[in-house]
Amino acid sequence: MPSKKQYWQDVAETDPAHIPAATDRNEFKAPSTLDQALSDGTLTGSTTSRRDFLKFLGFSVGAATLAACETPVIKSIPYVNKPEEITPGVANWYASTYYDGEDFASVLVKTREGRPIHVTGNPRFGVNRNPVNGKGGVNARINSSVLGLYDSERLTAPMEVADGTMTQRAWAEVDKAVGEGLAKVSAAGKRIVLLTNTIVSPSEKNAIDVFRAQHALVLNSGDASVSATVGGAVDHVQYDAISYAGIASANLKTFGKWAFPTLDLTKADVLVSIGADFLSNWGSSLENTWQYASRRRPEDATKDKPMSRHWQFEARMSLTGANADQRVAVRNSEVPALVSALHSAIASGTGNATAGNAKLEGRAAEAVAQCAKELIAAKGKCLVVCGKNEEGVQVLVNSINTMLGNYGSTIDIRNASPFFRGNDAQVAQLVKDMNAGQVGALLIAGVNPAYTLPNAEEFKAGLAKTGLSVSFSLYADETASRCKWIAPNHNWLESWNDFSPAAGQYALAQPTIRPLFNTRQWGESLLKWSGQNTDWHQFVQTVSGTTMPAGAWDQSLHDGVYSGPVTTMVDMAAPSFDLAQASAKAMDTAKDAGDWEIELYTSEALASGQHANNPWLQELPDPITKATWDNYVCIAPEDLSALTGKSFKDLYIGQESPAQVLKVTVNGVAMELPAVMSPGQAPKTVAVALGYGRGASGERVGRAACMKDASGKLTPVGQNAYPWTAVRGNTVRYEAPATVETTGRTYPIALTQTQMTGMDRESIVKETTLAVWSLNEPKETYNETETLAVHEDVNHDGKVDALDRVPATEIDLWAPHPIEEVGLHFGMSIDLNACIGCGACVTACNSENNVSVVGKDEVRRSREMHWLRIDRYYSSDTHTDTEELSWAGRLSEMEKPSAQPGVIFMPVMCQQCNHAPCETVCPVAATTHSEEGMNMMTYNRCIGTRYCANNCPYKVRRFNWFNYVTEQFGDVNPAWDELGRMVLNPDVVVRGRGVMEKCSFCMQRIQAGKLEAKKAGHPLKDGDIETACSSACPTNAIIFGDLNDTKSRIRAERDGARGYQMLEEIGTQPNVTYQVKVRNTAGEAEHHHA
Amino acid sequence: MVSKRSTGLLHLLLAFGLLLSANGVRAQVDQAQYDTGEKVFKANCASCHKPDQAMTGPMLKGAKASWDGKGDIHAWVKNSQAYIKSGNAHAKEIFESHNKIIMPPQAVSDADIDAILYYADNFAPKGAAKAVAAAPTEAQPTSSSWQWLIIVGLLLLLVLLSLGGVRTQLVNAVREKDGLAPEVNLTTWGRIRRWAYNNKGWASVVVLLMVVWVSVLTWNFLFRIGVYGGDTVAHYKPSQPIAFDHTLHAGKDNLNINCQYCHSSASNSKSAGIPSANVCMNCHKVVAQGPKTGKEEIAKIYAATGWDPEKMAYTGVEKPIIWNKVHNLPDHVFFSHAQHVAVGKIECQKCHGPVDTKMDVVEQWSPLTMSWCLQCHNETEVKVAGSDNGYYKEIHRRLAQTPMGQRELRKYLEDEKITVRELGGWECAKCHY
Repeated sequence: MPSKKQYWQDVAETDPAHIPAATDRNEFKAPSTLDQALSDGTLTGSTTSRRDFLKFLGFSVGAATLAACETPVIKSIPYVNKPEEITPGVANWYASTYYDGEDFASVLVKTREGRPIHVTGNPRFGVNRNPVNGKGGVNARINSSVLGLYDSERLTAPMEVADGTMTQRAWAEVDKAVGEGLAKVSAAGKRIVLLTNTIVSPSEKNAIDVFRAQHALVLNSGDASVSATVGGAVDHVQYDAISYAGIASANLKTFGKWAFPTLDLTKADVLVSIGADFLSNWGSSLENTWQYASRRRPEDATKDKPMSRHWQFEARMSLTGANADQRVAVRNSEVPALVSALHSAIASGTGNATAGNAKLEGRAAEAVAQCAKELIAAKGKCLVVCGKNEEGVQVLVNSINTMLGNYGSTIDIRNASPFFRGNDAQVAQLVKDMNAGQVGALLIAGVNPAYTLPNAEEFKAGLAKTGLSVSFSLYADETASRCKWIAPNHNWLESWNDFSPAAGQYALAQPTIRPLFNTRQWGESLLKWSGQNTDWHQFVQTVSGTTMPAGAWDQSLHDGVYSGPVTTMVDMAAPSFDLAQASAKAMDTAKDAGDWEIELYTSEALASGQHANNPWLQELPDPITKATWDNYVCIAPEDLSALTGKSFKDLYIGQESPAQVLKVTVNGVAMELPAVMSPGQAPKTVAVALGYGRGASGERVGRAACMKDASGKLTPVGQNAYPWTAVRGNTVRYEAPATVETTGRTYPIALTQTQMTGMDRESIVKETTLAVWSLNEPKETYNETETLAVHEDVNHDGKVDALDRVPATEIDLWAPHPIEEVGLHFGMSIDLNACIGCGACVTACNSENNVSVVGKDEVRRSREMHWLRIDRYYSSDTHTDTEELSWAGRLSEMEKPSAQPGVIFMPVMCQQCNHAPCETVCPVAATTHSEEGMNMMTYNRCIGTRYCANNCPYKVRRFNWFNYVTEQFGDVNPAWDELGRMVLNPDVVVRGRGVMEKCSFCMQRIQAGKLEAKKAGHPLKDGDIETACSSACPTNAIIFGDLNDTKSRIRAERDGARGYQMLEEIGTQPNVTYQVKVRNTAGEAEHHHA
Repeated sequence: MVSKRSTGLLHLLLAFGLLLSANGVRAQVDQAQYDTGEKVFKANCASCHKPDQAMTGPMLKGAKASWDGKGDIHAWVKNSQAYIKSGNAHAKEIFESHNKIIMPPQAVSDADIDAILYYADNFAPKGAAKAVAAAPTEAQPTSSSWQWLIIVGLLLLLVLLSLGGVRTQLVNAVREKDGLAPEVNLTTWGRIRRWAYNNKGWASVVVLLMVVWVSVLTWNFLFRIGVYGGDTVAHYKPSQPIAFDHTLHAGKDNLNINCQYCHSSASNSKSAGIPSANVCMNCHKVVAQGPKTGKEEIAKIYAATGWDPEKMAYTGVEKPIIWNKVHNLPDHVFFSHAQHVAVGKIECQKCHGPVDTKMDVVEQWSPLTMSWCLQCHNETEVKVAGSDNGYYKEIHRRLAQTPMGQRELRKYLEDEKITVRELGGWECAKCHY
């Protein structure tokens, strides 16, 4: 009998459970057949044997090859009844109007086969247009808004919300339920409140009146003061997410008018802004922008209209501050004292009564004195604006402008701006009333108070107590998802509307596409609930009868704007100032000072947060910090260094270097946010952007507002800073004392430009002062020609040395291209003086050229795809030529970021070099030169070696590391889903993985422009071709044209005294010319004169 | 070749004879008046009228006679609606008897109208004579040389084989004489192997040649993948939901409708476009029956547009027609019809082939490969000098005025013409962006 002895090495082996019984008995199992393998669903995760793998490989390669041999049959479906105005393949442009409560612009919408795909400024009409150069401006938010139309998270039908779940309803059901609800509320004698943004539409105003007449017992004016609660009345409460109530209430005090003034910056020789970011977000920023830019070109300056001088006092380095001639960093708590001091200085200079005796010290005091002197010298041709949302300070500012005689010149309060009429006190009262159960019905249009209110939680509680709540939101956002009913409004591109943006001006909006979803314009809903079955289009047309003469409709619709006579207003009573009270009120806010102070601002991209779901805007780098996809704490480098005990180098943010996380506490609300160093930030202050952290409770506010984290959970982009705002003295305040602590934690931030200093390169950005420029000396004094030393005695001094230099352009490795004066030769000129760094060109380029969005993680790896970037350079006043310092010492001196740096913006796209370094290294000739001077990129030829990108001195080439049209990038890439794809420009290829791409000078537009000229049989003229960036630029900084046309503007710019090429000395001969920036700096001027 | 040419001549003579005999009456025809009439007719009337049969509008033959004494035919043609309003009974009668289709006012002179009517009354189709004359000019397949080569090759092979047999027999005879056993009777393959073994050098040359030959075949085959037009591959000719016949509509001898009447966007858009069904209805509101397919195919247009031919009214129920696209370019190519049609003034047939004469079902005529595009760009001349187009005038001015331009111009003119290529027609980004 054979023994059954068992040998073991380890105790564990003796455990029968440990021994895999099956394999023990059947070590060499019969392999399963392919059929079994394929039919066994549980095997999907299993490993495939090498043999099977090869079989599959062979089969699939064979199958794919065979399949590839047959071209699939492509179907083509023409119109049955082709609309007369549509020609497939030809774009139609419609004039329309954009208004979202914050931005207003007359625009042109480009449609292809009935799909809107691009938005640009209306070059012929509108308040956002410069009448001199016919340039209609838009900003990044407006030209990106076209993507919002195709957001698949938009509501597709009206909804009933009950217990947090949404049920789709038919419009008839909504109308019935809301109608009955309103009747019940009226019968119960409770209030019906309509909460909207500032309404500037005559039709909407009219519809509201109709609605009020139907439901109200007593009407309330709504605008001027806190509403008296009247039972059964309809109150119309206007609410601006970003409040200007401080200015409006100051104007009510001074001029008896609750309004924001109309500004005219074209008349301002001296411009003083105290914390007002008027080029980016403050006031009617697009109007401000073109008006400001019109006074910034030194060539256009005359004796009567000199180049304007711009002072900026502010805590955070804002876009406007970056453009200022003199920028002074002040803490927000110092602003009342500063305004008061300025008031005193001007009062004593103009022989008026002073108010208060605020103390102001240091650089700010000096600056205020200098500033007052300049203002008085430019009496009647200057302007002082202040961003602080507080009545007392604004009354003082009004008084300053009155003393300077600016009313009627740079400020108009008679024909006041119709925008920004929101009343914070009314809103606060409304929230109280809602919680007290006094509001029977609340209808909300165009605003999102559950997100933007300082006391949003209170509002939400009140909303729950409101019997009938209806939202007209396009999304089930923070507010809408808590209302009982959602009656979704059309997207603006699907809407009819009219607006009265200025006295005598009527702008029309027309739909450029049939509504994508089962939505209804909110005005029409109001009419319906007032018992009127009027079509909104008809209604707008009827109302237009009151604003424009009969028969003007068609032409106005074509133009987008009807300009009627400006009705002269009756003279207003003389302004009255209670300076003592204003001063006291203003100084009261100085108590907000703390060891640390916080300022809450709106970013260039997202504004109040209504654009948070737009991936183009999320990926648009902040003009100053160059950060994307996050909000963060802006802090002065010294402060962060002191706080964390780390050197600047250790605080560097890059792909592998995350940002430090700071804990900021305001009013007992603490949040942890990453810190980004922002040179120029006032000491001991921080700034955080509003508008982030949308959809924090899982609301579906749009795809890009939230991102999937590693675990697949949707988390908002950034954090919501609105809880840090507070209502004090009837206005929302955006500054507060804070505590700032380190946490020791880090957080990755995606910057597109790093913060290290770019040293000792003088041929990238060039800058001079107005004083130097206006000496009319040869251009070498401020725009030096780059030279290179040669081994020849070119200066004939008998020896060959470093002084023998010739212009860099004369030395060349290559034979010249035969393009000079031959055929067409396209070029671009960028005026660094006009460029304010806003980024409208970047998003316009995204929209025109189907540029992929890549998301935060990829941006962090420097893989953003933008064809056009705006480089931001800081400049310090370090004197690197001091003799005392050694060479190394000078360099380390330069490494220290200046506390008060100058900032200069430089848009950089492919420079279309005539002698392009990229072309010579491409192994497959995928990038070649055209006879029209352009450097062509042929995607279908590119094999992705990336040699060209390595050899490009401007780093403008972008590589497709992935197929960005995949699930992986689904949250961010607009081209991902069926709906989002509709925004793509059919005239530009969507690039795939492994392909290099870059700016093409909008080749599709060049081809189209040439074709139009050929068909018309005339030579190509200036303006026949506009690139996306040049047409979007609100300040006309970018000019495009034919260099071989000797009469063209581009030729004059290139040959002009300020023109230079970037990195001229390396001999690439770019076709992009930059114009030297001229800053109107007083100090330098004196220095030069001396 | 000589004989062929003479047959052609014979045919021509015969055709001329036929033309004369068939139209003996036309000896008295005023040819100038007839030609003028034809020209004006084709320019203004042909889309709705035919001289010898009714189309959208009535047949024009005999129209003049029918108006004798009943009214002013000139006024009627110039503005029919106004003339009806003036109260002419005959005008009203014609209008009502032709489904009340309004003929738009025409900018033609009395002389023009007389010429048109003269042409219509004396109309004689050219078709019959032309068809006979055209037959011999049709390209004969040039396969005779190939046939000869094959025959010669076969003969040579025969000779080779018989020589081989003779050789084997001779060798065996010699071996028999020498008392050796006859050679082992190898199979053909065995013999080839033995030959290869004995002649390694030659064998490798043969193998190498075969490898090269197969590679070339493969290479050529690969180049034809996805190419559906040109001389080497079968043309792509998908079936279509409606048996639309281009030869009937666009053929010179048939309706002779201008290509751009239907493909109207060819002159101002990238795509020439498949005409929308409402364009078909311009004529087919009236023409409900075709010469080949009767009512069947036209009924499909009615179904698509929702036209009720009984009630002569639209029902409002539309159903788009799903065509199979014939000419497909890859997505990374941007081709503009407008550039070629409106600016380049290129005939549609240059790329699309004889659509009007041969394609009852449309097929892809040209290969649409890049080399095909480039070849044409290399050969096609652009009239730059003396162009009446301001755009090209300016280009020429710049070329002629500067030293560098003159140098370029001399280079361009080495082949005595300025081609599309020389003006940038070979540059990548002209089509790829």
